[in-house]
Amino acid sequence: MKSYDVELQDIVKDFDSGGAQIRAVDYVSVQIADGEFFALLGPSGCGKTTTLRLIAGFEQPTEGHILIRGRAMEGIPAYHRPVNTVFQDYALFPHLTVEQNIMFGLQMEGVNKREALKRAQDALEMVRLPDIGKRKPHQLSGGQQQRVALARALVKQPAVLLLDEPLGALDLKLRKSMQYELKALQRDVGITFIYVTHDQEEAITMADRIAVMNEGKMLQVGTPKEIYERPGTHFVADFIGETNFIPATLLKRENDGRGRVRLPDGSEICAALSDDLTTTSGAVTLAIRPERIGLASDVSAESATDRDLDILDAKLVDSQYIGTDTRYTLQIAEGTELVARVQNVDGRNSAAFDIGQTVKIFWHHSSTTVLDH
Amino acid sequence: MSERIRSMRRNGTFLALPTTLWLLVFFVLPLVIVLVVSFMSRGRGGVAIMPLTIGHYQRTFGIFSIILWRSIGLAAMTTVVCLLAGYPLAFFISTRRSRLFQQITLFLVILPFWTNFLIRTYAWRILLGDEGAINGVLISLGLISEPLKMLNTQFAVLVGLVYGFLPFMVLPIYASVERFNFRYVDAAHDLGANDVRAFVRVVLPLTLPGVLAGCALVFIPSVGAFVTPDLLGGTKGLMIGNLINNQFGGSGNMPLGSALSIVMMAVVMLSLVIYLLANRRERGT
Ligand SMILES: Nc1ncnc2c1ncn2[C@@H]1O[C@H](COP(=O)(O)OP(=O)(O)OP(=O)(O)O)[C@@H](O)[C@H]1O
Ligand SMILES: [Mg+2]
Repeated sequence: MKSYDVELQDIVKDFDSGGAQIRAVDYVSVQIADGEFFALLGPSGCGKTTTLRLIAGFEQPTEGHILIRGRAMEGIPAYHRPVNTVFQDYALFPHLTVEQNIMFGLQMEGVNKREALKRAQDALEMVRLPDIGKRKPHQLSGGQQQRVALARALVKQPAVLLLDEPLGALDLKLRKSMQYELKALQRDVGITFIYVTHDQEEAITMADRIAVMNEGKMLQVGTPKEIYERPGTHFVADFIGETNFIPATLLKRENDGRGRVRLPDGSEICAALSDDLTTTSGAVTLAIRPERIGLASDVSAESATDRDLDILDAKLVDSQYIGTDTRYTLQIAEGTELVARVQNVDGRNSAAFDIGQTVKIFWHHSSTTVLDH
Repeated sequence: MSERIRSMRRNGTFLALPTTLWLLVFFVLPLVIVLVVSFMSRGRGGVAIMPLTIGHYQRTFGIFSIILWRSIGLAAMTTVVCLLAGYPLAFFISTRRSRLFQQITLFLVILPFWTNFLIRTYAWRILLGDEGAINGVLISLGLISEPLKMLNTQFAVLVGLVYGFLPFMVLPIYASVERFNFRYVDAAHDLGANDVRAFVRVVLPLTLPGVLAGCALVFIPSVGAFVTPDLLGGTKGLMIGNLINNQFGGSGNMPLGSALSIVMMAVVMLSLVIYLLANRRERGT
């Protein structure tokens, strides 16, 4: 049996707020493997921080069980759990120097001062800030504080590191380079990371697996590729990247995970069914990413006979040059528009079509996903 | 910022002029007079006359030193008791979820100020007296047979001072716990500190400004208190404030009173300096 570092079993967390109950976490179950970089992704208020605080032990679940390294966490206070947290606002102790901040956790373990200082300095070395040990947190930049917070947590050598939007306060450029550094660091130290973010790009580039949350529920868990290419629900498809949603009718489910659907223009195409699809026939939603849609004045005979390709007629409504790509707005039926994004190669595409012209659009079956309406 | 305000800011001395004059006339000048008088001799009716002498200071540090030390001791004890009682209270109030509850409890803390201090202190005479309420209850419960001697002791003075100055401890501590970000407690727990260690290493240091301010606000008026020891302390609980008070009465001794005042002021100054130094160290500047 595979060993899990963190297991959540049917976790519910209700908050009492002025008489009204708020369900911050709604029956969440997930298993996170040893050494995994696991991202919790979702919009503001969906319960990411609460989930993290439950694992850390700052909050107790209303229902359900939390296991860390196979051990049930009921009744185990935060200070006895083998996890450490990098807080969203870092929470560096303002009255202590950087070194003292990092030594704090070691001293709580009974490590003597000399040893603690040495390890604190090593930790600062690791986050590439060897010379700031004597400073106070308020004398550091946001990026430096972030690294100190990381060093303070990592020096404890936890089984699991919990990070709550650790890059949220940084500017875009620093953010990018810190993403890279964090990922490299995680690979080096081999600690399980549970990483909260509401930035889908960050989650996709960094995580081994992503859990998409909304309104306290964990909607889908999977690799970035699975989440991006095989979204299970409308919400996930919408939240991750840009998606075209086309109202459609499911005519027939095939056994190979595909189905025949009818589009608003009356054409029938073949599309991949989402794993989470419950509809057996009738109204559904077809999702397709803009960059998966191809565009041509005409299609070659060869393509036309490719059985894995869906080909439609569309009217070009608008085109917009956005540097690397050109965005085309296309109408496939009255009231149904799609966006296609085509990479600009040799400056060809942007000039190739006229507004109002009828073009052929095409995509591969596997690029579409049929979702519940 | 308008040009006008900017120029006013540059000419800050101008803005401070009224206050400076006020302080010069009503604070520095009297202080100088008191200082001079404290080195003069006592004339008929207790007034100050020439020649100059240091005799009053000798008496202050001689036969009156016991009262000086008693005052410092009682003030220090008052401060400690107020701190031990006030910190938990302030902590409790400022960590309540309901704003309304906080406001009501704070209101209760300062409610006694609505009654005259003298009257409230008289009330303690009734409570602490031999036939007072406390002894009455203890005797009727059969816990004691003889009334406890409480009134006219240093204990009574301590009780009165703590009662009178507790709000001065509670309010500044409330303010700093209120500002305290409890995320730091989470962080301390996260790093392996139990509740006690999180308190000692994180909460206490970060609320220390309030503690220091409270201590200064309680200690300074306690050292110079004279109503409370006068009404509750009798001769055994006499403090330096009473001594000074007596010197300016009918058969008093103004130069001695002045010397005692100067010494008391020195004690207050010293405690203020300690406060400021502690506060500075706290801020790490
Ligand atoms: N202590 C609390 N008392 C009452 N309600 C709370 C408490 N903590 C969180 N909530 C509520 O629980 C829900 C989830 O909050 P949470 O902080 O977990 O969201 P989040 O996903 O971290 O959002 P963000 O991205 O904005 O940080 C919110 O509706 C929030 O108002
Ligand atoms: Mg959050």
